[in-house]
Amino acid sequence: MKKLNRRSFLKGGLASSVAVAAAVGSAKKADAAGDFGGYPDSMGVLVDMTKCIGCRTCEAACNKEQSLPEPDKAFDDMSVFEERRHGGLPRRTTEKAYTVVNKYEVEGREHPLFRKFQCNHCQEPACLTSCFVNAYTKTPEGAVIYDPKVCVGCRTCMIACPFYVPAYTFSSATNPVIKKCIMCYDTRLKFGRPPACVESCPQQVMTFGKRKDLIELAHRNIESHPDKYVDHVYGEHEVGGTSWMYMTAVDAPFEEIGFDVHLGKQPIINYVKDFLAMVPMVLTIWPALFTGFHLLATRKDAKKNDESAS
Amino acid sequence: MKSFVAQGLRPVDSLMKPESTTEWTLKEKLLLGLSPGDYLKQLVRNPFNWIFAIIYAIGVPVILGRFYYGLGWATHGSYDYPWGLFLGWGLFCMVPLSASGFMLGTTVELFGRKDFKPIERLGLLNGLLGYLFAVVFLQADLGQPWRLIYPMVVSLGPAAVLFLVAWHVATYLSVQVAELVPAASEMMGWKAPKKFVKSIVLGLTVAGIILSTLHQGALGALFTYAPGKVHPLWYSYSFQWFHFFCSSIFAGLSMLIVVSTLSKGFLKWRCDSNFLDSLDRITLGLAKGASLALITYLIIKLTAIAHDNEWALLFTGWGQWYIFEICLGVLLPLFLYTVAIRNQSAKIARFAALIAVVGILLNRLNTALITFNWQMYQEIPHWREVTITITIYATYILVYRACLCRLPILFTWKADAK
Amino acid sequence: MGIKKRKLLGLALMAAMVSPWSLPGPASAEVFELDGMKNLYEGVSFDHDMHIEATGENCTECHHHTAGTAPTDPLCVTCHAKSPEIDNPSCKSCHVKDVFAAENMKKSWDTPLLHHRDKPGLKAAYHQNCLGCHEENGAPTGCTDCHAMTDAGEKFYNTGKYAPEPKTSGHGGGNH
Repeated sequence: MKKLNRRSFLKGGLASSVAVAAAVGSAKKADAAGDFGGYPDSMGVLVDMTKCIGCRTCEAACNKEQSLPEPDKAFDDMSVFEERRHGGLPRRTTEKAYTVVNKYEVEGREHPLFRKFQCNHCQEPACLTSCFVNAYTKTPEGAVIYDPKVCVGCRTCMIACPFYVPAYTFSSATNPVIKKCIMCYDTRLKFGRPPACVESCPQQVMTFGKRKDLIELAHRNIESHPDKYVDHVYGEHEVGGTSWMYMTAVDAPFEEIGFDVHLGKQPIINYVKDFLAMVPMVLTIWPALFTGFHLLATRKDAKKNDESAS
Repeated sequence: MKSFVAQGLRPVDSLMKPESTTEWTLKEKLLLGLSPGDYLKQLVRNPFNWIFAIIYAIGVPVILGRFYYGLGWATHGSYDYPWGLFLGWGLFCMVPLSASGFMLGTTVELFGRKDFKPIERLGLLNGLLGYLFAVVFLQADLGQPWRLIYPMVVSLGPAAVLFLVAWHVATYLSVQVAELVPAASEMMGWKAPKKFVKSIVLGLTVAGIILSTLHQGALGALFTYAPGKVHPLWYSYSFQWFHFFCSSIFAGLSMLIVVSTLSKGFLKWRCDSNFLDSLDRITLGLAKGASLALITYLIIKLTAIAHDNEWALLFTGWGQWYIFEICLGVLLPLFLYTVAIRNQSAKIARFAALIAVVGILLNRLNTALITFNWQMYQEIPHWREVTITITIYATYILVYRACLCRLPILFTWKADAK
Repeated sequence: MGIKKRKLLGLALMAAMVSPWSLPGPASAEVFELDGMKNLYEGVSFDHDMHIEATGENCTECHHHTAGTAPTDPLCVTCHAKSPEIDNPSCKSCHVKDVFAAENMKKSWDTPLLHHRDKPGLKAAYHQNCLGCHEENGAPTGCTDCHAMTDAGEKFYNTGKYAPEPKTSGHGGGNH
């Protein structure tokens, strides 16, 4: 083994530092995280599914507000509720539809329950934390918005989103991008106005207000009508809390109307933090550790060099 | 080539032509010392090349179509299943199998085990080409591949695991290229680059270990973003990165055994006695390393199940599949490697290596594709996706072969007395 | 007739006009045109008399407590058992049209101790209040049963003459 003299060690050190510098950014944000809990005055939307009649006006409003392409079927065509995709699953958000309303026939319930589904604008979004070009932003107003100009198309956000919200324009060869609800940020939320779907709803299924006020309101309504609502506000704590929250009828529990009730309270980033904490440890320990191994492994040669020198 | 060598052709192994004072020109070196006519003759005679020709005839139009029509045409990529074979195979399968780069670099340069030197360069080449083609697969998969450098220069998202993967793969590719510069320098007759690299080889090796540990682990950590989507038996938020890192150790070593066996079998004319004579001994040495990694991996896998208290899941359908994967991919190779080492049988070790490689492929495909969205419908890759994957992988094999035939990897370059 | 007699007759006539027997009934004995959504729908011709009959003259059914009648819902009665008739019990006097406008939001959320913070807007008040009873009594419940769509409405809903061409089956790239 060649002698580990100062010059070669310094050269080697420089090479390792390049590696350290290249990945040091990965360590920064993980250390600074705690539980974010959202911006204090961010807006939210409370969805009272007991009121929804499945008229799909919200879908039409979104389509017009976001200049989405023509839908496959008219918005007053209720046959969409019978559509099923792969695996017998009901409709989901697509590149042409940022929000969909699905119908659930719940046993023991006279009327079907209708559920509006769109991006939940999480407090600590999985899409945002998984994006390596920082394409997502959680605005102080509460919306989680997306910048198509930096998106590389890796689709990790689609892997990460626990609600299966982001859609990708796979059909485009030159500029495929993510498509999802942005809470009408550019056209409305920025100016303090509610999203188009909220305003268009004839039953005011959705209430717009500060997230913290909505939580209070939701619990008060649940308390006032215990035989009407399930005593749970979906999105209050799920995956760290979401801006869009839901109340459902007592005879249509969340797990029977398409909600994933096993998500837990941790924001998705918490599942990644164990690894993110590993990164600075490896970066700092490995150089010394392995240089030590090297010295250990070559001690016989070093000894020989000493002997021959003396 | 075999017949040419049998007829007396001396393969290019030094700067000077045999028994002459003229140097090989670059063109001659690239044509393996044959005349262009002879070179083409041996290409056409080789039956493997006919298979490649068929693959390319079908595959190239499909690849062009992917870029012209978009991913929707070429894959079954959907909103529920955003990732398919390009990443499942090209990234998640090929990267652990390419871990031989840092493994051999560490073994020879850091731990000072010079007895592995004959296979060091093969390990490094295996690593470099594997990562290079992982990037090729990535470019085939990305929606906007021309934006590949965005996470480095345009918009950085440092908290994301993929950020780490991107930076590390880029840096590590440079490290691996540098580590192979000595081989290229010998062939090209350059002196300075080889000397420079030799002076920083320790630093390069340590950088290689750091980068490899982190990005092999990071590929696993990518799945920690999807706790509900990957089946719990294949998912562990605490240990996922370690599963992938530990398995990459025996994946790289096993793949190296497989590749060295293939080289010995199909490129014997290119291997010199230094390589061939020590290969059995080296194979057993690699087998020892692989079996240590295998037993560690097994224990950590079981620990992960205990940690999340998932024992009951082993009795489900998915649990049976998991047990199958562990038996085929971990227990069987471990057992075979142990038998091989005890009986000093390189043959059994080679068989064990093949099984281990299959086991790694199974594990990665399980995590990335098969058990992904286990609660949903199963997604089958599009035939075009399979075609493109095969074509790119065929290119990888061709480039691999081209490098092995020309660079001093399987043979020692004769230092010319000047 | 002398001037004095004509003046007396005039006075008598005026007195008769304002006597309880010739006063008009409650100010709501007419058909109201509700046309708040005129960008999408034609106005609704709301027959108030018919509804007075249909509810058996029980104003609470629609007006909660604002017509001076006591509500039956135990949640409401605690505060509104003796609430008097208000000057204008029409829906729009309490339920504002643009419920999410800034000043209305401020009123709803920043007024301390306000109980009915989530009071529905006018559009929602109509729908929430009417639909339940309509359904129970076989009255119109479809959107266009009460208000026809305007041309702009048809455009908005991509229906009628703006309906999309029916697509042949097959996978749209990626939308599996």
